[in-house]
Amino acid sequence: MPPIIRIENLTKKFGNFTAVDHLNLEVEEGEILGLLGPNGAGKTTTILMLATVIRPTEGTAYVGGYDVRKNPDKVRELLGVAFQEPKLLWVSTPWDVVNWHAKVCGLSTQERKQRVREVLEALDMWDYRHRSVHALSGGMRKRVEIAKVLIQRPKIAIVDEPTAQIDVVGKHKIWRMLRELCDSGTTIILATNELYEADVLSDRVGIMHRGRLLVCDTPQKLKDSIVGGDVVEIQFEVEPSPKIIESLDQFKEVVKVIRTKASTLRLYLNKVEEVVPKIMSTLMMEGAVVSSIRMSEPSLDDVFAHYTGLTLEEAQKGGR
Amino acid sequence: MVIMRIIWFASQIAFFGLIASRMVAVEDYFRYYVGGLSVMTLYSAAVFIGFDIYEEAEHGVFEYLLSLPVTRRQLVLGRSIGGGLRAFIYVGPLICISLYVIGIVNPLNFLLALFSLFLFAFGVSGMSITLAVVIKSSDRFDILMGVLDALIVRLSTAMYPLSFVKEANPIYGWIANFNPVTYAAELFRWGAGVESILSFENPLLPLLGIVLFFGFFMFVGIVLYDKSIEGGGWR
Repeated sequence: MPPIIRIENLTKKFGNFTAVDHLNLEVEEGEILGLLGPNGAGKTTTILMLATVIRPTEGTAYVGGYDVRKNPDKVRELLGVAFQEPKLLWVSTPWDVVNWHAKVCGLSTQERKQRVREVLEALDMWDYRHRSVHALSGGMRKRVEIAKVLIQRPKIAIVDEPTAQIDVVGKHKIWRMLRELCDSGTTIILATNELYEADVLSDRVGIMHRGRLLVCDTPQKLKDSIVGGDVVEIQFEVEPSPKIIESLDQFKEVVKVIRTKASTLRLYLNKVEEVVPKIMSTLMMEGAVVSSIRMSEPSLDDVFAHYTGLTLEEAQKGGR
Repeated sequence: MVIMRIIWFASQIAFFGLIASRMVAVEDYFRYYVGGLSVMTLYSAAVFIGFDIYEEAEHGVFEYLLSLPVTRRQLVLGRSIGGGLRAFIYVGPLICISLYVIGIVNPLNFLLALFSLFLFAFGVSGMSITLAVVIKSSDRFDILMGVLDALIVRLSTAMYPLSFVKEANPIYGWIANFNPVTYAAELFRWGAGVESILSFENPLLPLLGIVLFFGFFMFVGIVLYDKSIEGGGWR
């Protein structure tokens, strides 16, 4: 099946500043693609070009087979966008905002009434539906913004930092709703700078930095791509013998073994979930008594740091 | 705002209109002035949509509107018609006051005049949107609209008959001849039955003028809206 979105050399320059730099990417139908990167990485600019809000300086993108340059009207028929900053009509209530959006998107009166109620209730916004948007908190406004896409149920949904300013319970609720939207057939592009959000929600994650796409793969493969990124710390009852260290070192997945304390070894390795059972049986065969074992795999922050040399936080502070 | 306009409008009729009609040696000037005043007020109200454009830019609503599954043509047409209708809602009570003062002779004529006033309001909204997206600065837009208001309204037949404008200066007369405010004022008077001082014998001419005015700013608005309001390009 051809990709539902194909991005070819997409570039956007604002004067001398290159916001998006020759981006190439394909999005499969029915997947959630996370675009991860610090503020200023080019995520929002990419989204705005896909949504035909801004024109590319170079390159193009095909959305549902339509060129964003040549057939912007057709592209927009397939899309629903929840923006990073809530775009509310400033004289309205949440109900007015989402109802108007649903009307413009062509939902019938019956369908509109039902979906508006369902979604606002699910997002805990039903009781606030007639309140002025001025009186809403940042998190509530964000819920209204995401409600637009959930009501619209477009073929392709683009959500930019969907849970920013939203509390933990609300975040989980929105993630569940986005997952349900995807299960019902919507392809989702999720732009975020929250590592956990990208990890739990995305089928694939593309890491962007300084307008470029550095890498794109499943979260697991990205983590596995860091050689020696997994860490296993084994604490022995007694000091492990050199023979034990040597046998651990012989596993092809193990990159490095270091002794952190007299009775503690730290192993840097790949594919921790596959190799740990083998390590345990070796230790048992060697007669080593293990008092505790702790495992950790790299986070997407480690992946980001691996490809950029910066943590996400450092990249954020540095702007770009 | 609405109350302020009503008070201003009523005082213009009750004081300025009544007093000026005694000073001017033009037959039926009072009713003539009331008709023109309605069109002037409608123009001022319809221009307001341009200021909304700046508010939308400030609130980042442009990106949202441009991402909606509608064509740019539908978007501009919708904004212009919306702006025109809003102006009509604001000015509706004032038009009713003026109709009470003027009185309607022929309801059919009046319906046609009302339709042309709608087109006039949509056209003014389209013009306001077009200028707002081209200028991209609310201060400069404010100044330009002030200048335009002074020129378009004063160099029209809203307040004085065309023959007097021409007499004052032929250039003024030429401008008034091709002025949408003139066309709207003339049609409104014709529809309301103030026919003693009509500048155009055939009401089809001002009607054609208004249709052209509306069509021109719809077309230009669609082209410029798409070109000028590119998200991130509006600063």
